[in-house]
Amino acid sequence: MRRVWIGLLVVAVLASVWYGVTRRSPAPPAPGGARGDSAGTGLKAVRLFFASPDGDSLVSETREILEQSNLHERVAALVAELDRGPRGGGVAALPAGTSVLHAYLDEGGGLTLDLSRAFEQGFRGGAMTEYAAVASLVRTLGANLPEVKRVLLVCGGAPLATLGGHVPLDQPFDVSEWL
Amino acid sequence: MAPASGARALIARALRRLGPPLLALATLGVDGRAPRIGETLESAPTREVSGTTCVGANDLARLLRATKFWHPEVRKLILRAGPHRIQLTAEDPFVVVDDGTVALPAPVMPVGGELQVPVALADLLPRDSTLARLVFDPRRRVLVVAPPSGVLGSARVVVQEGRTRLVFEADRPEEVVVVSRARDHFRVRFGGFFSGSLPDALPAAALVQRIRPIGAAAGSAFEMAVSRQATGFRVVRDTRARRVVLEFTREPSSEFTAFAPEGPPGPRDLRVVVLDPGHGGRDAGVTAGGLVEKDLTLALARQLESEIGRRLRVRVVLTRTEDRDVPVEARAEIANRARADLVVSLHFDGFPNAAAGGATAYVPPATYSSAGFTGGAGSLTVLAWREAATRHAVESRALGEAILSSLELRGDGPILLRELLPYPLLGVDAPGLLLECATLTTRADRERVGGRAGMAELAETIADGIQAYQRNE
Repeated sequence: MRRVWIGLLVVAVLASVWYGVTRRSPAPPAPGGARGDSAGTGLKAVRLFFASPDGDSLVSETREILEQSNLHERVAALVAELDRGPRGGGVAALPAGTSVLHAYLDEGGGLTLDLSRAFEQGFRGGAMTEYAAVASLVRTLGANLPEVKRVLLVCGGAPLATLGGHVPLDQPFDVSEWL
Repeated sequence: MAPASGARALIARALRRLGPPLLALATLGVDGRAPRIGETLESAPTREVSGTTCVGANDLARLLRATKFWHPEVRKLILRAGPHRIQLTAEDPFVVVDDGTVALPAPVMPVGGELQVPVALADLLPRDSTLARLVFDPRRRVLVVAPPSGVLGSARVVVQEGRTRLVFEADRPEEVVVVSRARDHFRVRFGGFFSGSLPDALPAAALVQRIRPIGAAAGSAFEMAVSRQATGFRVVRDTRARRVVLEFTREPSSEFTAFAPEGPPGPRDLRVVVLDPGHGGRDAGVTAGGLVEKDLTLALARQLESEIGRRLRVRVVLTRTEDRDVPVEARAEIANRARADLVVSLHFDGFPNAAAGGATAYVPPATYSSAGFTGGAGSLTVLAWREAATRHAVESRALGEAILSSLELRGDGPILLRELLPYPLLGVDAPGLLLECATLTTRADRERVGGRAGMAELAETIADGIQAYQRNE
């Protein structure tokens, strides 16, 4: 009888040891290295649009930036790059200091982009500058965020009728109209 | 990696797909001589590697908006674009796309430290909204990103038995809209980017005498001059064949739509001209070199008022006669109450670069994409009040062209016409435009309009344009 109890005890100890070992074992690696590429941070080429020197059109510039994880960070990174200005032959189109306060994307692809007060307060110029600022934003967002179909610009959390009295901002811009 | 049998099936399917799409793409060749609508598509150059047309992996990642991950130990480059994952291996023709494997006609080759990928991959990638659609343009030897709205190909003209057909290859035939039914300005808007060419010359017997691309708020638009002999038109949208046929007929037929009634040729009936001096009050507008836009617009409006009054028997109404801020709604109300026959909102431009100069006119888009604005016989159209000016888009464009032409002739260019509903025309129910008469941030323009004589000359030039519009020249 005593041997039986000792045998049961040994089996129980071995079973608990086995259970503990298997619980702590790491999961087998995913086949094909599927997770390998998502562990680090990747570089992503983005296309930025600035005004052409004569203000007639936009010129594009490609830069590689660190990939951002969510929509707000991606939008903010793009606007930050626009705010840094062109490295090539373009002209900065956004009022200096413009940044993203909030970015909200609805199910229909409508992006509400809440920009800092600098967007409105820093604006100087005429219709050409205003057109370039809007076109630069809409084209850059459209070119890099395919899920964005329309862009509504607001400022400091409030609607903005116009920036300088030439381009209406009360309605969202259809990205496809600016491509 | 997919199981071997699955991979073989995918490879076989991929190889079957390699032929026809490349042949089809040959029809997308861009004729460099032909006018193109919109801006150049995003593209990347290609190169020949061992007889295969390839694109650099960095460019490929850029076009696909993909994030790159390089694994040097296994010489694999992984591109992640949205939910898609593309695995390229150096010196290997097999590419893992999501859960499947596709075969390229040649291996991915490292050249100068960068992988070169056969452009045939473009046809093997998934077609969905999360991945940019790439098209190889064999004429320019570039890989281009097709816009989300698709591509519109070249127009082909067929003249047969009293009918003229214009045949367009279109990704989205269902989106074609006739936006103006007037014979002289017959306008059609298509969905998609026009990557084709227009015929250099139309046959003498054709009922369409001229066709040209025009600016469009969305897609691609064309204006045609249709012969007086044509009695009607129709649009055939063939979604299966991805083709749009515009057909014009000489013989009256119930299957065809009549053209818009044409006003009598000759001078336009102008009775009320509204001039809107931009800005005012706390809103100074552009200030440069001691000049202030709000003062210049008011001075110009007064000069123009007397100039127009001297030439034309019209009543001229100003939306402001002093230095005060007038809300945009009030300006529109003044114009509408006066029953304006045309509205000119006067402005002066400013831009941070001295290379900018000249005059720009902003007119309501003739191809406005508002819901319900579909035109066509018997259709009921609903238009938001703020967009009332788009009803007069064709006349507004004619006014813009007349004034800009006059400015250009006087050496006040360069000139630019933009189709964009401008803020000062919100709610205005009349032909009109926003005119940036000169660019104050440019010294040459400042010197030209800054003095009394310069302002008088500018008023004369704009009045010339309005007079040309009135004469319907």
